[in-house]
Amino acid sequence: MTTYARHSPSAFSTTASTTLFRRLTWEGTVPLEIRVDSKELPANSDRGLECYYVQAPRVSYLPLVVPELKRFLMDVVFDEAAARVVKEEDWWFEGEDGTTLKWHWPIGLIYDNYTITSSVRSTPSSSQTAAPLRLVLHLASPPTDRLLLSPSAESCKQAFMGQMKEADFIRWGNTKRMTGLRKAEQDGLWEGIREHNFDEYWRVASKVTPTTAPTRSQSPPPGNSTSLHTRPPSADPNTGSAPDRDGAYNVRSVPVRIYLPEGPVLQDLVPPNLDDGLPHTLGSFLSTHLPLLFPPSSSDPPFQDLAYPLIQGVVAPLDAEVAWLGACMAGADGWVNVCIGLLRDR
Amino acid sequence: MQEALDALESYKKKDPAKVVVRFKAVGNAPIMRQNLYKITASNRFQAVIQFLRKELGWKAGDPLFTYINLAFAPAPDDTVANLYKSFATEGHLIVNYSTTAAWG
Repeated sequence: MTTYARHSPSAFSTTASTTLFRRLTWEGTVPLEIRVDSKELPANSDRGLECYYVQAPRVSYLPLVVPELKRFLMDVVFDEAAARVVKEEDWWFEGEDGTTLKWHWPIGLIYDNYTITSSVRSTPSSSQTAAPLRLVLHLASPPTDRLLLSPSAESCKQAFMGQMKEADFIRWGNTKRMTGLRKAEQDGLWEGIREHNFDEYWRVASKVTPTTAPTRSQSPPPGNSTSLHTRPPSADPNTGSAPDRDGAYNVRSVPVRIYLPEGPVLQDLVPPNLDDGLPHTLGSFLSTHLPLLFPPSSSDPPFQDLAYPLIQGVVAPLDAEVAWLGACMAGADGWVNVCIGLLRDR
Repeated sequence: MQEALDALESYKKKDPAKVVVRFKAVGNAPIMRQNLYKITASNRFQAVIQFLRKELGWKAGDPLFTYINLAFAPAPDDTVANLYKSFATEGHLIVNYSTTAAWG
């Protein structure tokens, strides 16, 4: 029965299911269809080919898609004269409906936000499944006031680091875990996203993300004599009597934002446990903040939910615990983005 | 569906409430004579940055870095209300400002 002693060699005990969900979150991609604004297409461009299709990682950002997009346009669409004058520092994206797409939102969030926005419009919902998100690429005059950032990978990286630190502060009341990282480690987080490399990102991210180590009740059952032959409890940081300092259920609050169709974005403190000591669930969180859409289960007469929560493109069960969502379903910036779509009358 | 759309509309209404923002200079940044301001909670943080630039008489392009609680730079599209709910200390949202990147 040596399997009981098989723990991760690192100080951060990560269960197999946690790693699985983190990997599923990380590997998620969304289809994008990027079309150059026809009015801005340089003269002599090949007009039949100005559309670029890509499965972009959910955890990535639009500025990180620009290099491959540029290669495609240079190779196939623009002629040499145009390729010389086009400046990617001036590129920016719009949605089909003319909304300016934010540089600093993860691509998965942009996609989910589009899905829930469609849920309030009168388009038939059947055609939404895995449809590419249509983007318009502009080659000049970025509206910096609406983009809020200068359109560059560097400013996107700075914004990402800001979000990591804000998430850190939400969890622990300080940013010691983030500021404790060496410069090379901080850069490694961004490189992991740029390269879409799970191991590179998580080598560092595991130092700031809460663990979901099993609690003692899931350890070998008492009375099982074989457990005496495993490591003594004192050798294992997660089964001793000291509470798990880095555990998902010991954070001050979980970094969560709620996105409603066409805005606003709501953020509040989301403790992992409720006052009665029970884990805080997504359902109780939503019925507290959006009672008109998620009526409390105690309401009389009982009302049906009018909306659904979408996290990383998945309709999340309302009994999911927010602490678990924070450890397994957060984006690369540490935030759990809950997009609210409206249920259609059936 | 109509009921849900009505619910959404009610959540879209802008909160007219104001919250107190306290500006604190860091490093060589000039100190403000008045540093407590009431700011409409539904404003985005971007509006706070613009307000601060105006109060300091900063010209476009002059460097200004802003942080919450000496810890992190918030996203410019986050609202003052959201930041206040999560990070206010003793009834104030503390905004630090610096002419050089400090905790970036």
